[in-house]
Amino acid sequence: MIPLLAVVRVKGAVRFSLWLPLFLIWILLLPFALVLLPFAIVFLVARHTAVGPVIAAIFEAFSGMRGTHVDVCAPGNSVFVHIW
Amino acid sequence: MNEHRRKILDMLAEGKISADEAERLIAALEKNPAADSTAGAGATAAPRTNLKYLRVVVDASEEVAGDSMTKVNIRVPLQLLRAGVRLAGLIPTEARAHVNEALREKGIAFDISQLKPENLEELIAQLNDLSVDIDHAKGQARVKIFCE
Repeated sequence: MIPLLAVVRVKGAVRFSLWLPLFLIWILLLPFALVLLPFAIVFLVARHTAVGPVIAAIFEAFSGMRGTHVDVCAPGNSVFVHIW
Repeated sequence: MNEHRRKILDMLAEGKISADEAERLIAALEKNPAADSTAGAGATAAPRTNLKYLRVVVDASEEVAGDSMTKVNIRVPLQLLRAGVRLAGLIPTEARAHVNEALREKGIAFDISQLKPENLEELIAQLNDLSVDIDHAKGQARVKIFCE
Protein backbone atom coordinates (compact mmCIF):
# COMPACT_ATOMS: atom_id res chain seq x y z
CA MET A 1 0.00 0.00 0.00
CA ILE A 2 1.28 3.47 -0.84
CA PRO A 3 2.24 5.86 1.98
CA LEU A 4 -0.63 7.99 3.21
CA LEU A 5 0.86 10.38 5.74
CA ALA A 6 4.26 11.79 6.57
CA VAL A 7 5.54 13.84 9.48
CA VAL A 8 8.64 16.00 9.20
CA ARG A 9 10.00 17.85 12.24
CA VAL A 10 13.15 19.94 12.17
CA LYS A 11 14.59 21.71 15.21
CA GLY A 12 17.65 23.86 14.88
CA ALA A 13 18.33 27.23 13.33
CA VAL A 14 15.06 26.64 11.48
CA ARG A 15 12.19 25.05 13.38
CA PHE A 16 9.16 23.57 11.72
CA SER A 17 6.82 20.66 11.95
CA LEU A 18 4.94 19.38 8.91
CA TRP A 19 2.15 16.87 8.66
CA LEU A 20 1.92 15.89 5.00
CA PRO A 21 -1.28 14.16 3.90
CA LEU A 22 0.39 12.18 1.13
CA PHE A 23 -2.86 10.60 0.03
CA LEU A 24 -4.03 14.07 -1.08
CA ILE A 25 -0.75 14.68 -2.89
CA TRP A 26 -1.06 11.35 -4.74
CA ILE A 27 -4.61 12.27 -5.79
CA LEU A 28 -3.33 15.61 -7.13
CA LEU A 29 -0.41 13.95 -8.94
CA LEU A 30 -2.44 11.10 -10.43
CA PRO A 31 -3.67 13.05 -13.52
CA PHE A 32 -0.09 14.16 -14.27
CA ALA A 33 1.14 10.58 -13.87
CA LEU A 34 -1.53 9.31 -16.26
CA VAL A 35 -0.58 11.97 -18.83
CA LEU A 36 3.15 11.17 -18.50
CA LEU A 37 2.72 7.38 -18.50
CA PRO A 38 2.48 6.95 -22.32
CA PHE A 39 5.62 9.07 -22.79
CA ALA A 40 7.44 7.01 -20.18
CA ILE A 41 6.36 3.78 -21.89
CA VAL A 42 7.52 5.06 -25.31
CA PHE A 43 10.85 6.13 -23.78
CA LEU A 44 11.38 2.73 -22.15
CA VAL A 45 10.44 0.83 -25.31
CA ALA A 46 12.84 3.02 -27.32
CA ARG A 47 15.59 2.15 -24.79
CA HIS A 48 14.77 -1.58 -25.12
CA THR A 49 13.87 -1.71 -21.44
CA ALA A 50 11.07 -3.93 -20.16
CA VAL A 51 8.16 -1.69 -19.16
CA GLY A 52 6.40 -4.05 -16.75
CA PRO A 53 9.32 -4.66 -14.36
CA VAL A 54 10.17 -0.94 -14.26
CA ILE A 55 6.62 0.08 -13.37
CA ALA A 56 6.38 -2.77 -10.84
CA ALA A 57 9.68 -1.75 -9.22
CA ILE A 58 8.66 1.93 -9.04
CA PHE A 59 5.33 1.01 -7.46
CA GLU A 60 7.12 -1.33 -5.04
CA ALA A 61 9.51 1.49 -4.09
CA PHE A 62 6.55 3.82 -3.48
CA SER A 63 4.70 1.31 -1.35
CA GLY A 64 7.93 0.33 0.40
CA MET A 65 8.32 3.83 1.79
CA ARG A 66 5.70 3.10 4.46
CA GLY A 67 7.31 2.61 7.82
CA THR A 68 10.39 4.70 7.06
CA HIS A 69 11.60 6.35 10.23
CA VAL A 70 14.51 8.78 10.58
CA ASP A 71 15.27 10.31 13.95
CA VAL A 72 18.52 12.20 14.35
CA CYS A 73 19.16 14.16 17.54
CA ALA A 74 22.30 16.17 17.97
CA PRO A 75 22.95 18.93 20.49
CA GLY A 76 20.85 21.87 19.31
CA ASN A 77 19.55 20.12 16.21
CA SER A 78 17.14 17.35 15.49
CA VAL A 79 15.39 15.91 12.48
CA PHE A 80 12.46 13.55 12.63
CA VAL A 81 10.78 11.96 9.63
CA HIS A 82 8.17 9.25 9.74
CA ILE A 83 6.08 7.91 6.89
CA TRP A 84 2.86 6.01 7.47
CA MET B 1 35.63 -29.64 15.18
CA ASN B 2 32.72 -27.43 14.24
CA GLU B 3 32.26 -25.50 11.05
CA HIS B 4 33.11 -22.05 12.44
CA ARG B 5 36.41 -23.18 13.96
CA ARG B 6 37.33 -25.01 10.79
CA LYS B 7 36.65 -21.84 8.76
CA ILE B 8 38.81 -19.75 11.09
CA LEU B 9 41.65 -22.26 10.87
CA ASP B 10 41.30 -22.42 7.09
CA MET B 11 41.50 -18.63 6.90
CA LEU B 12 44.59 -18.73 9.13
CA ALA B 13 46.18 -21.42 6.96
CA GLU B 14 45.46 -19.39 3.82
CA GLY B 15 47.04 -16.33 5.41
CA LYS B 16 43.82 -14.30 5.25
CA ILE B 17 43.98 -13.58 8.97
CA SER B 18 46.79 -13.43 11.47
CA ALA B 19 47.26 -15.79 14.41
CA ASP B 20 46.11 -13.03 16.79
CA GLU B 21 42.92 -12.49 14.82
CA ALA B 22 42.27 -16.22 14.72
CA GLU B 23 42.74 -16.41 18.48
CA ARG B 24 40.32 -13.54 19.01
CA LEU B 25 37.71 -15.12 16.72
CA ILE B 26 37.97 -18.48 18.50
CA ALA B 27 37.69 -16.72 21.86
CA ALA B 28 34.57 -14.95 20.59
CA LEU B 29 33.14 -18.32 19.53
CA GLU B 30 33.83 -19.74 22.98
CA LYS B 31 32.05 -16.78 24.57
CA ASN B 32 28.97 -17.56 22.47
CA PRO B 33 28.47 -21.30 23.01
CA ALA B 34 24.93 -21.24 21.56
CA ALA B 35 26.19 -20.29 18.13
CA ASP B 36 29.08 -22.68 18.57
CA SER B 37 26.88 -25.67 19.39
CA THR B 38 24.49 -24.86 16.54
CA ALA B 39 27.37 -24.88 14.12
CA GLY B 40 28.73 -28.00 15.77
CA ALA B 41 25.51 -29.83 15.06
CA GLY B 42 26.12 -29.14 11.40
CA ALA B 43 23.22 -26.75 11.12
CA THR B 44 23.52 -23.21 9.85
CA ALA B 45 21.49 -20.41 11.39
CA ALA B 46 18.07 -20.40 9.76
CA PRO B 47 17.44 -17.18 7.85
CA ARG B 48 14.75 -15.10 9.50
CA THR B 49 12.01 -14.67 6.97
CA ASN B 50 9.79 -12.19 8.80
CA LEU B 51 12.27 -9.33 8.64
CA LYS B 52 10.72 -6.03 7.60
CA TYR B 53 13.13 -3.26 8.46
CA LEU B 54 16.81 -2.40 8.39
CA ARG B 55 17.71 -0.49 11.55
CA VAL B 56 20.70 1.76 12.06
CA VAL B 57 21.12 3.02 15.62
CA VAL B 58 23.96 5.29 16.65
CA ASP B 59 24.62 6.42 20.21
CA ALA B 60 27.46 8.88 20.42
CA SER B 61 28.66 10.85 23.38
CA GLU B 62 30.86 13.79 22.57
CA GLU B 63 32.62 15.96 25.07
CA VAL B 64 32.74 19.01 22.88
CA ALA B 65 30.33 21.17 24.83
CA GLY B 66 29.85 19.42 28.12
CA ASP B 67 27.72 16.30 28.32
CA SER B 68 26.03 16.03 24.99
CA MET B 69 24.66 13.06 23.12
CA THR B 70 24.08 12.47 19.46
CA LYS B 71 21.49 9.84 18.66
CA VAL B 72 20.56 8.42 15.30
CA ASN B 73 17.69 6.04 14.85
CA ILE B 74 16.92 5.07 11.28
CA ARG B 75 14.46 2.42 10.15
CA VAL B 76 14.30 1.63 6.44
CA PRO B 77 11.74 -0.84 5.12
CA LEU B 78 13.46 -3.77 3.43
CA GLN B 79 10.82 -3.63 0.71
CA LEU B 80 12.20 -0.22 -0.26
CA LEU B 81 15.74 -1.61 -0.43
CA ARG B 82 14.57 -4.57 -2.50
CA ALA B 83 12.74 -2.26 -4.90
CA GLY B 84 15.84 -0.06 -5.15
CA VAL B 85 18.05 -3.02 -5.98
CA ARG B 86 15.50 -4.21 -8.54
CA LEU B 87 15.45 -0.75 -10.12
CA ALA B 88 19.25 -0.68 -10.17
CA GLY B 89 19.14 -3.97 -12.07
CA LEU B 90 16.98 -2.33 -14.74
CA ILE B 91 19.43 0.49 -15.45
CA PRO B 92 20.67 0.21 -19.06
CA THR B 93 24.23 -1.01 -19.48
CA GLU B 94 25.61 2.29 -20.83
CA ALA B 95 24.02 4.20 -17.95
CA ARG B 96 25.62 1.76 -15.47
CA ALA B 97 29.03 2.62 -16.91
CA HIS B 98 28.31 6.31 -16.28
CA VAL B 99 27.16 5.59 -12.72
CA ASN B 100 30.24 3.46 -12.01
CA GLU B 101 32.46 6.21 -13.41
CA ALA B 102 30.74 8.84 -11.22
CA LEU B 103 31.16 6.60 -8.17
CA ARG B 104 34.84 6.09 -8.96
CA GLU B 105 35.31 9.86 -9.20
CA LYS B 106 33.84 10.12 -5.69
CA GLY B 107 36.32 7.51 -4.47
CA ILE B 108 33.81 4.65 -4.32
CA ALA B 109 35.08 1.69 -6.28
CA PHE B 110 31.80 -0.13 -6.73
CA ASP B 111 30.23 -1.83 -9.72
CA ILE B 112 26.45 -1.44 -9.56
CA SER B 113 25.98 -4.35 -11.96
CA GLN B 114 27.05 -6.51 -9.01
CA LEU B 115 24.06 -5.25 -7.06
CA LYS B 116 21.61 -8.13 -7.37
CA PRO B 117 18.47 -9.05 -5.40
CA GLU B 118 19.94 -12.40 -4.35
CA ASN B 119 23.00 -10.61 -2.92
CA LEU B 120 20.73 -8.32 -0.89
CA GLU B 121 18.78 -11.29 0.46
CA GLU B 122 22.01 -12.99 1.46
CA LEU B 123 23.18 -9.82 3.18
CA ILE B 124 19.87 -9.49 5.05
CA ALA B 125 20.01 -13.12 6.11
CA GLN B 126 23.52 -12.69 7.48
CA LEU B 127 22.94 -9.30 9.07
CA ASN B 128 21.65 -10.51 12.41
CA ASP B 129 23.16 -7.92 14.67
CA LEU B 130 26.21 -5.93 13.74
CA SER B 131 27.59 -3.65 16.41
CA VAL B 132 30.59 -1.38 16.03
CA ASP B 133 32.11 0.50 18.96
CA ILE B 134 34.08 3.59 18.02
CA ASP B 135 36.42 5.35 20.41
CA HIS B 136 37.87 8.67 19.40
CA ALA B 137 39.50 11.63 21.08
CA LYS B 138 36.23 13.49 21.66
CA GLY B 139 34.13 10.63 22.95
CA GLN B 140 32.63 7.27 22.14
CA ALA B 141 30.06 5.99 19.69
CA ARG B 142 28.23 2.73 19.21
CA VAL B 143 26.79 1.92 15.81
CA LYS B 144 24.31 -0.94 15.61
CA ILE B 145 23.04 -2.24 12.28
CA PHE B 146 20.47 -4.99 12.28
CA CYS B 147 17.29 -6.23 10.67
CA GLU B 148 14.02 -6.67 12.54
